[in-house]
Amino acid sequence: MTAVLRTSGLVRRYDSGTGEPTGVLGVDLEVPRGVVYGLVGPNGAGKTTLLSLVSALRRPDAGTVELSVDRRRVAVVTDVPEFEPWLTAAEVVALAAHLVGADDSPAAVAGALDEVGLGDTGSRRVGGFSRGMSQRLALAAAFAGDPELLVMDEPSSALDPAGRAAVLDLVLAWGRRATVVLSSHVLSDVQRVADVVGVIHRGTLRYQGPLAELLARHVRPQWTLHVRGSAEALAAALRTEPWVEQVETGDGVVHVRGTDLEAGEAGLVRVAAATRARVVSLVPEEADLESAFLALTWGPG
Amino acid sequence: MTLWRLEWLRLWRTYRLLALVVVFLLFGFAGPLIAAYLADLLESAAAADGFQVVVPDPVPADGIAQYVSNAGQIGLLVLVVVAAMALATDAHPGQAAFYRTRVPSAARRLLPRVVATTAAAVAAWTLGTVAAVYETWLLIGPLDLGAVVGGWALWIAYLAFAVAAVALAGAVVRSVAAAAGLGLGFMLLMPLLGLVPALDGRLPSALVAAPEELARGTSQLGDYAIPVAVTVAVIVALLAAAVRLGDRREL
Repeated sequence: MTAVLRTSGLVRRYDSGTGEPTGVLGVDLEVPRGVVYGLVGPNGAGKTTLLSLVSALRRPDAGTVELSVDRRRVAVVTDVPEFEPWLTAAEVVALAAHLVGADDSPAAVAGALDEVGLGDTGSRRVGGFSRGMSQRLALAAAFAGDPELLVMDEPSSALDPAGRAAVLDLVLAWGRRATVVLSSHVLSDVQRVADVVGVIHRGTLRYQGPLAELLARHVRPQWTLHVRGSAEALAAALRTEPWVEQVETGDGVVHVRGTDLEAGEAGLVRVAAATRARVVSLVPEEADLESAFLALTWGPG
Repeated sequence: MTLWRLEWLRLWRTYRLLALVVVFLLFGFAGPLIAAYLADLLESAAAADGFQVVVPDPVPADGIAQYVSNAGQIGLLVLVVVAAMALATDAHPGQAAFYRTRVPSAARRLLPRVVATTAAAVAAWTLGTVAAVYETWLLIGPLDLGAVVGGWALWIAYLAFAVAAVALAGAVVRSVAAAAGLGLGFMLLMPLLGLVPALDGRLPSALVAAPEELARGTSQLGDYAIPVAVTVAVIVALLAAAVRLGDRREL
């Protein structure tokens, strides 16, 4: 898969005043074409700095940014979009399209506004727009340029749940047409939309790759078994298995945390059969990005 | 929607063009009025206190002089503020990112703003001058129109210098207030530099009094060749510096 965006040894240092270097400290980012790439990390991890280097809004101290698309086909949506308050929504989108040489006809502008749910606000001045409307207008302005790469910094962080859901739906929809890079510290948002993730912590990339692989590699698999009758024999047998890390029991329920997904999936059935446990259900617990993130970033350094 | 149309809308919808025109028109009408009746006002005020003040009768050049005096202070102040609002391009980071990510060249981003602001200033100055000439003719007497046109043209160079000074200020600092203040600072630097004997009468500030001096006949248009050349050079230098800083400055 070819990369749309690649950074190599990207460094941008800031003096935090604590003597500890902050910023972006040598990041090799690789964003494959056609994916939604989620850049996750806590506040201050370097996400915004990294995206501003990618967007050419800042210059690196070292390293390079390579784009395999024309810079005019890269759209950037900042975390706090602002527009001239005396322009109408349609004028903002028309301006955005014109500036990158895209179709700025009234039909194209109306289409972009419709796509983000602002179709009936084209003639309204944007000075009175809410934060959520401004965020959607920023997306319309980005979409109007028909970008091949859409870079979004914390697009949903300051929105209410409905606004977040709307923006994430738009990201998902756009992800089917172009490559999207979005940063967020809201891990559930990234898990919802991203195919590939980069975990950044203290300026360095701790993981980069498919989300599913991250979850498989860094999240301990867990299962919940519902049994009829006593679960103690089953629990005792499970505790002797090498792939089992922890077993908890209670009122017909056994929670198992393992160290290996495949061994667990095979072993659970085997142990249940050996102990003649009356298993009613066996439910794997869904791995989440938050657990993987904590596993990657926990502790110093 | 081009950047040029954007600047027109900025001037029109934010009433900045209106503010400039109103200020210059007001001084255009008020200047000759004050010049025409200043003697009467002073004499009657002095008579009430038991003094006698002798004020020479006004001449047509007094009308233009009064207009230029007011326009050169409050009019320029309003222009500097209006210019700073357009040329402090990074005052709002979200807006700045919108333009920078779509128009990487600072020159392309700045040019329409500089030209539109200068054009608005020239329009306001022109309307004010027409008002001043008409009012002067009506109340005091006819002016030498050739001298008026010469003074009008020289002031255009000075207005362009004022806008260019604010453009550089907007590339150095980020807020509108700071850009206006620094822009004024650049402009005030000129009369101070003019105190150096070698530079006296050769800097842009020498153009401020040109409309009055030409109207009175105390100078000729050709006398301003050097300050005009210097002003053009300073404008080019200021704008080049603004573009260079704009290209280098990060958001």
